Amino acid sequence: MPAPNALKLLWQQFRIEWRLYLRDRGAMFWTFLFPLLMLFGFGMIFRSGGPPELTLVRVAPAVESPRDKAFLKALNEAHLRILTLGAGAAEARWAKGETAAQLESTSNGYRLRLNSYLLAQGQLAAQAASQAFLVAQSRLSGAPEPQRIPVILESPGHARSTNYAAFLVPGLIGLNLLTMGLFAVGMVTVSYREKGKFRRLAVTPLPKWVFLLGQILQRVTVVAAQTALLLAAARLGFDISNQGSYLLLAGLVAFGTATFLALGFALAGFAETVETYGAISNLVFFPMMLLSGAYFRLDGAPRWLQSAVYVLPLSPYLRMLRGVFNDGATLAGQGAGLAVIGVWGLLSFALAVKRFRWV
Amino acid sequence: MSHQIVVRNLRKRYPKVTAVDGVDLEVEAGEVFGLLGPNGAGKTTTLEMIEGLTPPDEGEIEISGLSWREHAAEIRARIGVQLQATSLYNRITPREALDLFGSYYPRRRGTDELLALVQLEDKADAYHVTLSGGQAQRLALALALVNEPEVVFLDEPTAGLDPQGRRSLWDIVRAMKADGRTVMLTTHYMDEAEALCDRLAILDHGKILRSGTPAELIASLGIPSVVELTFDGPAPGAAEFGARLGAAVEVRGDRWEVPTHDPKTLLPRLLTALETERLDYDQVHIRRPTLEDVFLQLTGRSLRD
Repeated sequence: MPAPNALKLLWQQFRIEWRLYLRDRGAMFWTFLFPLLMLFGFGMIFRSGGPPELTLVRVAPAVESPRDKAFLKALNEAHLRILTLGAGAAEARWAKGETAAQLESTSNGYRLRLNSYLLAQGQLAAQAASQAFLVAQSRLSGAPEPQRIPVILESPGHARSTNYAAFLVPGLIGLNLLTMGLFAVGMVTVSYREKGKFRRLAVTPLPKWVFLLGQILQRVTVVAAQTALLLAAARLGFDISNQGSYLLLAGLVAFGTATFLALGFALAGFAETVETYGAISNLVFFPMMLLSGAYFRLDGAPRWLQSAVYVLPLSPYLRMLRGVFNDGATLAGQGAGLAVIGVWGLLSFALAVKRFRWV
Repeated sequence: MSHQIVVRNLRKRYPKVTAVDGVDLEVEAGEVFGLLGPNGAGKTTTLEMIEGLTPPDEGEIEISGLSWREHAAEIRARIGVQLQATSLYNRITPREALDLFGSYYPRRRGTDELLALVQLEDKADAYHVTLSGGQAQRLALALALVNEPEVVFLDEPTAGLDPQGRRSLWDIVRAMKADGRTVMLTTHYMDEAEALCDRLAILDHGKILRSGTPAELIASLGIPSVVELTFDGPAPGAAEFGARLGAAVEVRGDRWEVPTHDPKTLLPRLLTALETERLDYDQVHIRRPTLEDVFLQLTGRSLRD
């Protein structure tokens, strides 16, 4: 009797992988629902497309002098939310850590107190307050009113998609790929090897490449489905859409998939047990997730760190993905980034081939 | 083709230990052959080299006249394997697993028939994680039979099962033999080896100490059987009785023990002597030497150590 056809077997492995995957509610949650929750959660919090709304706590003076009143009027014109509280209530709010900036009266004028943990918001509020103070002073002295400098919001690529959700979508796509490679591929490989599942397959005539390719194809289709779902959610929920070429976007996703798949297989070659793999993969995953700018930018970090993370594959990858998705850019001038990712991919692939073991 | 499995001078060294140290075996078609030995004796390594899972450092293996070097795919299609720990996907059902594994082979046995054979019809659509140890083990056996194999390899098939589970597995192994399959199994239970195996090889420190049928192995060592005798009342003088019987009688408390290589002749004479002397005995019991005794004598250690 003829041996079963390899393509038929491949299709069957692909189907059984999908069927068993759909039964794993935990995996379904982390791959499909979690990125959506991140998008809607963070996207909603920072929804407004205009300047961020800043709150300035104003400690109510004992008696409102004309100067106080003029200052308050100017503050209200400066896109600040002014919260006037009594000294006790203001102190309570400050102690809870909710206040970024607080305006207090002193014997000879005013003082701004900024929360050292919320420096970004505090400094913006302080700037606006200082401007308002100048306006109020000119009005009181009858001098011509100082001109405000107009502020506009724009993405680095001069595109209209300006809010945080738009920043988040490419980040989540990139993180999905990294998670797929490190966990759905790398960790699963180690666990199959540790539990002897590969050994059970090795005594059957099923060619090993068929099993492996079936698994890879299933993961790739999961990533494609995830990406499509995220793009649809971004469009429906936040009216964010791809500003660049869809072909380029698909190409970048495929490139990232290949790189992170290889990375997962490579790391799997260095761990004997799932526990060891957990440690190794966290060592790779957390620096990349936190430092690569998937969730936030690293502008406040030391320069050496900012340059160092560009050597990790996720940072240049996200920069290119954001360029295409948010700003409609092409890959012109992205040679260095492509090279970094390509080197990671090739290195991982070589290591994966060299270190891969079935038992 | 004379033998189903031929193994010559098989060796496997690991950095710290020589696991298999020159094993020769011949297994006939249709027989159940057992590798008996304590943990760490090299049973599993030997079996996994024959199954093609572990490459040997040295030696020749032929299955149905085929060698792994030239006919790996052909051999894999003809053998069925149950590993010591068979791990599957957690959420696969027995029915799906049998269908899936069956599809890997040119020849396959019906899933329903296999489920009936291992009595898993009730659990056919339950997730693998929910199966009990015995059920999982029976599924592993069914998977080993999915391709109508000529040779079935079973590694410790009843490890960790309760007595009832072991019996039901033994029945399945006997059914394999009845279907004309060759079975090679490892065990460290001597009752299992005696109950199932036509022939055995006793393995220790990677070497075969002795092989043969269970009866041959027991006979080969010249260990005597022992006739035990207990009395209702006080035991009479043992020495005189022994002299009249023509056999040495050893007294162990209120019990007599008469060692003999020929219990078939001794027993009638003993009973006649008891009758004629009107001795009021309570029980007569013959204790045959077991494989445990064989193992003890060959290695100086107990099998369960």
